[in-house]
Amino acid sequence: MLRASAAAELAGVPTSSLVCEGFVGQASATAGGLGMPNLPVAVVPGHVDTQTVDELERNIAEHTLEQVIANLCTQFDIGIDTADPGPTEVVFRGSFEEVNRHFLERRWSDGLPVVPPTVGAIDAFLAHSDLDPGHSFGPLLPDRRAATVQSVAVNGVMAGCRPEYMPVLLAIAEALADPAYGIEHSGNTPGAETLVTVNGPIARRLGFNDEQGALRDGFQANTSVGRFVRIYLRNVAGFLPWETDKATYGNTWRVAMAENEAVLTEIGWPPLAADHGIAAGVDAVTIARFTGGGVVTSVYGQTPEQMLDYLADALVKIGGWEYVFTVGVASNTYRPLLLLSPVLARTIAAAGWSKDRLREALWERARIPARRFEQYLGEWTNLVPGRRTLNDLVNLRVAAPVFGQGTSPDRLVPIVTDPSHIQIAVTGDPLRTNAYVFAHNGMLGFPTAKVVRPSPVVS
Amino acid sequence: MNDYAVVWPRSPRTAEPVALAPRPTSLEGRRIAFLWDYMFRGEEIFPILERELQARIPGLSFVSYEAFGTTHGAGEHEVLEGLGRRLGELGVDAVISGMGC
Repeated sequence: MLRASAAAELAGVPTSSLVCEGFVGQASATAGGLGMPNLPVAVVPGHVDTQTVDELERNIAEHTLEQVIANLCTQFDIGIDTADPGPTEVVFRGSFEEVNRHFLERRWSDGLPVVPPTVGAIDAFLAHSDLDPGHSFGPLLPDRRAATVQSVAVNGVMAGCRPEYMPVLLAIAEALADPAYGIEHSGNTPGAETLVTVNGPIARRLGFNDEQGALRDGFQANTSVGRFVRIYLRNVAGFLPWETDKATYGNTWRVAMAENEAVLTEIGWPPLAADHGIAAGVDAVTIARFTGGGVVTSVYGQTPEQMLDYLADALVKIGGWEYVFTVGVASNTYRPLLLLSPVLARTIAAAGWSKDRLREALWERARIPARRFEQYLGEWTNLVPGRRTLNDLVNLRVAAPVFGQGTSPDRLVPIVTDPSHIQIAVTGDPLRTNAYVFAHNGMLGFPTAKVVRPSPVVS
Repeated sequence: MNDYAVVWPRSPRTAEPVALAPRPTSLEGRRIAFLWDYMFRGEEIFPILERELQARIPGLSFVSYEAFGTTHGAGEHEVLEGLGRRLGELGVDAVISGMGC
């Protein structure tokens, strides 16, 4: 909404942006990142979704209207942006405790102790890249700061990464800067969190855990790389709680995940990165933003058919409002992720099933009544205004034809538009029959994969 | 005790502050467009603003958000890239953009 206002202002058209009361701070910080610190907003008291029609009318007419008029008729200064230190400038000297206090006070830390980013520590990271330290993968919203190699090294040091992780960190930064990922949405209210998946031989070479406890902290590569993402979002993209990060709840960063490449090779399934255009066997990272996840315990069956209903049920139950990313807010962008433990993947593959066949079968079974889908879109929420039915949305070409096959509200419709939208990865305890499902945040963190460039340092 | 000389963990901004569009001294006779992200009751709020603005300021005309498409969603980049041109085509003098909630 502010990005639209900024685009209008750049075109020479004055704007007034409408924000609910709780979003004034975010608007101010976001406007700074857009290069328009004084971009004016008019405030709606409270939150519109809980107000009666009369209350809304009164709030707009008696409170918001005057601000709108003033915003459109008042000349604004260009705004002042504070001067920043240089990227290699020493900003503080002190003990470990003093450095950490300094960083906490300036909101450069996530609250845990950080490793002091000294020039020597940073140089050790930079040695693992052929790129110039000033090379940028692009600007990161909302602060519109450059995703430079230098900044990756600094925040990698702080997060507790090892220098040899640098190629993985650079690929993550490159993915974050890809417009397809949609980093600008990383501070939205559902508070979803990015998951990094590492593929290729580099995963085991760097010590990523891809077996029991695959999503648990306690393994330096998985833990520190996951932490890096959150610290990088804070310091370079500029997502700060109570300002630009408006997660209503949020959660701690996600430990980075690695797929079990040995099992994938054994059963002939492509890795997750291959689903996003990078060949099997190539070192790669895939990032995607997930709203939440849940374990599917004790999957029972000796054939894929016997397992399907339980896995499909898990895919259905983990979602809800997120289906606005299948039909509505950003149609066709919902990408749930199913994790299979190796014993489950082996059993399914032993029956001759490919990943694509499994996806097809899950797509056929992971369905909900059309009425329930419509409740998520525009009855229990107002995310798709107008109380439109799926058939309305098919007619408007917002929904794919599969959602309009029949008129019964009890007909079953899929949770994703196409079977290929169900992501599948193999990881976790090799001999336990559990699975895991992540609900996805659609275009607000679309799966984005990048090749990990080799390190020039032979370790 | 070890001393650490540490660098700044942020990164340079890629955009310098830019000036906002010049404002008119009055909205009288102006054409106002609504931009909407299709969320948070814009379809109710914009008509209230239109009614109240018309009651207070003579000669106003309005352009519906439907002339632009949603400013949030899969088509956001496309809509924003063409926004300046579209505003010009429609003769828009000012924009009210919502909803940030």
